[in-house]
Amino acid sequence: MTNLTLWVLVFPLLGFILLGLFGKAMPRQAILTIAWGASGLALFFATIGFLSMMKTTPDAARISDQVIYSWVNSGTVATGVLSNNVPLNISFGLLLDPLSATMLMIVTGVGFLIHIYSAGYMEDDPGFWRFFAYMNFFIFAMALLVSADNFLFLLVGWALVGLASFLLIGFWFTRRSAVAAARKALVINIIGDFGLLLAIFLIFQNYHTLNYLSNSAGNGVFNQVTQGGVAVGITTAICLLLFVGCAAKSAQLPLYMWLPDAMEGPTPVSALIHAATMVTAGVYLVARANPLFQVSPDALIVVAIVGGATALFSATIALTQLDIKRVLAYSTISQLGYMFMAEGAQNYTAGVFHLTTHAYFKALLFLGAGSVIHALGGEQDMRQMGGLRHRLKITYWTFLIAALAISGIIPLAGFWSKDEIVGSLFARALNGGGTLFYVLWGVALLTAALTAFYMFRLVFGIFFGSYRGSGPRAHGHDDEELFEEEEHRGGHGGFYAIYESPSIMTVPLIILAVLSVIGGLVGSYALFGRPAVYPFGHFLAPLFTNNAWTNITVPEMPLSLGMSWISAGASLGLAGLGILVAWLRYRRGFEYKASRNPLYLLSFNKYYIDELCIAVIIKPLKWLGRTANSLLEGGVLDGGSRGIAWVASGVSSGLRRLQTGYMRNYALAILFGVVLLLIYYAVMRG
Amino acid sequence: MYNGIPVSWYLVVSAILFTLGVIGVLVRRNPLTIFMSIELMLNAVNLSLITFSTYLNSVDGQMFVFLVLTVAAAEVVVGLAIIVSIFRTRRNINVDEMNILRG
Repeated sequence: MTNLTLWVLVFPLLGFILLGLFGKAMPRQAILTIAWGASGLALFFATIGFLSMMKTTPDAARISDQVIYSWVNSGTVATGVLSNNVPLNISFGLLLDPLSATMLMIVTGVGFLIHIYSAGYMEDDPGFWRFFAYMNFFIFAMALLVSADNFLFLLVGWALVGLASFLLIGFWFTRRSAVAAARKALVINIIGDFGLLLAIFLIFQNYHTLNYLSNSAGNGVFNQVTQGGVAVGITTAICLLLFVGCAAKSAQLPLYMWLPDAMEGPTPVSALIHAATMVTAGVYLVARANPLFQVSPDALIVVAIVGGATALFSATIALTQLDIKRVLAYSTISQLGYMFMAEGAQNYTAGVFHLTTHAYFKALLFLGAGSVIHALGGEQDMRQMGGLRHRLKITYWTFLIAALAISGIIPLAGFWSKDEIVGSLFARALNGGGTLFYVLWGVALLTAALTAFYMFRLVFGIFFGSYRGSGPRAHGHDDEELFEEEEHRGGHGGFYAIYESPSIMTVPLIILAVLSVIGGLVGSYALFGRPAVYPFGHFLAPLFTNNAWTNITVPEMPLSLGMSWISAGASLGLAGLGILVAWLRYRRGFEYKASRNPLYLLSFNKYYIDELCIAVIIKPLKWLGRTANSLLEGGVLDGGSRGIAWVASGVSSGLRRLQTGYMRNYALAILFGVVLLLIYYAVMRG
Repeated sequence: MYNGIPVSWYLVVSAILFTLGVIGVLVRRNPLTIFMSIELMLNAVNLSLITFSTYLNSVDGQMFVFLVLTVAAAEVVVGLAIIVSIFRTRRNINVDEMNILRG
């Protein structure tokens, strides 16, 4: 098996460096060549690695851990916490196994498509080169995150994708709101990074290594899990701290607030980073660290509960939002909650499967929304849309496919993965999971119905009914004056001035639509009762079900054919119900009515979480800052230094009276001193 | 010593001269007089140095005297130059009025 992961990393990094240093002076075509070339080559090498893995037999041989260089090699540590003579060795290595191969395919594949799409979307942006430099940087960082073979370089990738996300959210840095959103994302992600860092410290303290698996550079953490010697409590602490990192990166409760705000970035960024790839890093990490989670049932239950709560919570918010990107953002949070639920129910395969299909249809939804926004010249408010299916045909059909897929309509991709998650929750409930997992199963079903409803509210709101806006805004929509003029009905043709996006944008939409249709078939086994021919599960089995490399086996949760049909039928029926309700309500077009219903207001205002945060965290912090400023800074520090100055000036103004300026006084003082010295010698030495 | 004059007499004379010099420095207001008083003090010291030199039969004291004379000459040169310069600018050399450096 060939491990070409290094090349997957090198080209985007090279592209970033070239574009970052010289991009400003480059013509458009050169920028595109470098950016597309870098991400295309990354995709090429990832595909070669993936294909060569597919050809490798047996399954247990589908792993390649390439240690590239030894970064820290300290010899043994004689004293301190690590007193039992453990060497501190950290190496930089790249791990290619089924999980990282899958992730690399998603990252580079979706990344490449979005690179192409962005060429159209960012066409007139003055920061064209900067955008592609950051995008290449993101591909590099994310590929590092998923292919690192130890926790330290995972953290490096983790922090770098956070940086890429910060840079791209704040891409339009002249907008105050974009800068605020970028800062918010960074701050919340730092909380997560801190949790991850603490987890890594604990791992090193207890397992004396940071490698995932044993390789030429030393022992692996996961190989030692079954050897005992580390208390379950410690492992639980490690898992929970890891999950803090995952929750921040994957926008789970209570650290989800940054993701809706992250929609301030350009739409392709929302599609790539804040929907398809980066936010799934948390799901990836839990799947990657499954041997640790597997020995800590408590941590798994926390993961499942947080996932379930997030899925339902954010789905209810998505019901009432008016900004189409915000609806999609909350939908992303909700779908990530699904993935964590599956992982909490010990079905990691289902989580990663949903991650994969979600990457297709959520990228498609965002790119479709981007196409709508592009056609309307920057308009994101659903109240200003409607009837667009007549003008944006390709966007409409692809968006509809994605909406059907995310709603879980058979036989699109979302159906299979969502059904597997719902089924895994049901199976966990039947296999000793108890009430909690029945509740989570119910939550998953309810969320499925809500998902279908809000997605079709969006579809009907954007594409059905009659057009409610006043034609596309002028390009360069920051130009308020021009915009005002347009508002007063200039020569613009209103609805007929709206044109479908160029083919550079629609082709990626079509490709993603195809993937959203067929992408789930690799997991379409459950309803036919043939687990043996489940290609996706089989592919990932060495990591999850019959762990070939770590001796940890995840227990099978059998679900009889009848039960899986009940579960699938329930989720399908509820999704259909959601679509039906949306159809009844919105088929003639979306109409915004301010409602006084308290439940509506609660959802519309996002449960007042932002306001709550401001009141509970930010205000007290600000008060603390002000108080510290006046008390510590003003009273203690300033007071102290002012006191010292006061003493010094008091003493010196006393002393200056000695300097009379009369020469004869000085002479007298000298004489006096001499006499004193003489007396001293006469008395002491005499 | 040579003529039967004991050492202590020389020293007493030296002490008296020195005291006169000190008093001169302290009570006089004219810098020229103060200078002369300082010279008096230096020469009082020279006298005692020569006395001891002769008494101890050593030339060390005389060498010190030469050194003191040289320094005193140099000091007078600088001092007089300063006094002349002050007189030129202020038309007055009363030391009690030269107190612009007071604190």
